[in-house]
Amino acid sequence: MNVSKDRFEQIGYLKPFFESVTTGAKCPEEILRTLSKYGIDWYVTEKGTLMIRYWQIGAEGFVSPERAAMIRSTKESPGQADELDWLSKNLQNVRSEFGNNWIAVCNNAVVAAAPNLPDLMNRVTGLDRPLVTFIPAEPVVWTFTYAH
Amino acid sequence: MPIKDFERVVRFYEYQNPHGPSMWLPLVGVTLVTPSSNRIDLSLLFDTGASFTTLRADLYPILGLHSWDQGQPTDIATAGGANTVRVYQYDDFRLEVFGKVIECPIQLAQMPPNPLFVGLLGRHTIFNEFGFGFWESLHELYVTANP
Repeated sequence: MNVSKDRFEQIGYLKPFFESVTTGAKCPEEILRTLSKYGIDWYVTEKGTLMIRYWQIGAEGFVSPERAAMIRSTKESPGQADELDWLSKNLQNVRSEFGNNWIAVCNNAVVAAAPNLPDLMNRVTGLDRPLVTFIPAEPVVWTFTYAH
Repeated sequence: MPIKDFERVVRFYEYQNPHGPSMWLPLVGVTLVTPSSNRIDLSLLFDTGASFTTLRADLYPILGLHSWDQGQPTDIATAGGANTVRVYQYDDFRLEVFGKVIECPIQLAQMPPNPLFVGLLGRHTIFNEFGFGFWESLHELYVTANP
């Protein structure tokens, strides 16, 4: 893995920070607030493990599953943004703006559009798992087994 | 009757038909690694009537193909049975489905466009890996990776 100098310095800065918080007396919520304050992406698993972006270090037993449920209800875990749900609910607007184009949806927004797929793929390089689909210019009308 | 546990719930998505009732579609997100190593998500319609996983013909560039019709040609009957369509098959593509990486054949076909899905998730290979429960009135599909 290549780590840029800036990123390396950032990690080098964070490491002692985590060493200090894991041995300190701060409550979990305070630690999470501090992580957010420092702009560090984090989430808590269903079992209560704290996961931190970049290192993917698991602080096992960080909180109880019950407390994890409370924390998770206030902060979405990565990868849970439902692009398809967003697209389904915003289809009319998306069609009016991007009809007859391939689009890439990420974090509930159209992040790239192009009239052909190779162009779109060039524009989404570096994005992690964008939802790729084609938006017809006109509304699609069809009947289907699942319609009723 | 044996107890069947499912780890995942796949909910249906509403497609608002402009001139008719809304449709609720069982859509499954699959992850594909493109030739340029990008990971992208595609939405496929869960289709128990489809033998093979079938993608829109114009997705061929992200499969590393030069054209959509260079594979093994096959004529297949459509759901009504009255018409046949020509599809082209390609073997051993890797898809990540419900957290599992699966090698399976993929067919490309020219199909009507729908903004919410770009193909059909078919039975071959993939359905063997999972168990499914289907609850139409709740608009939910249940999945286990340990059938």
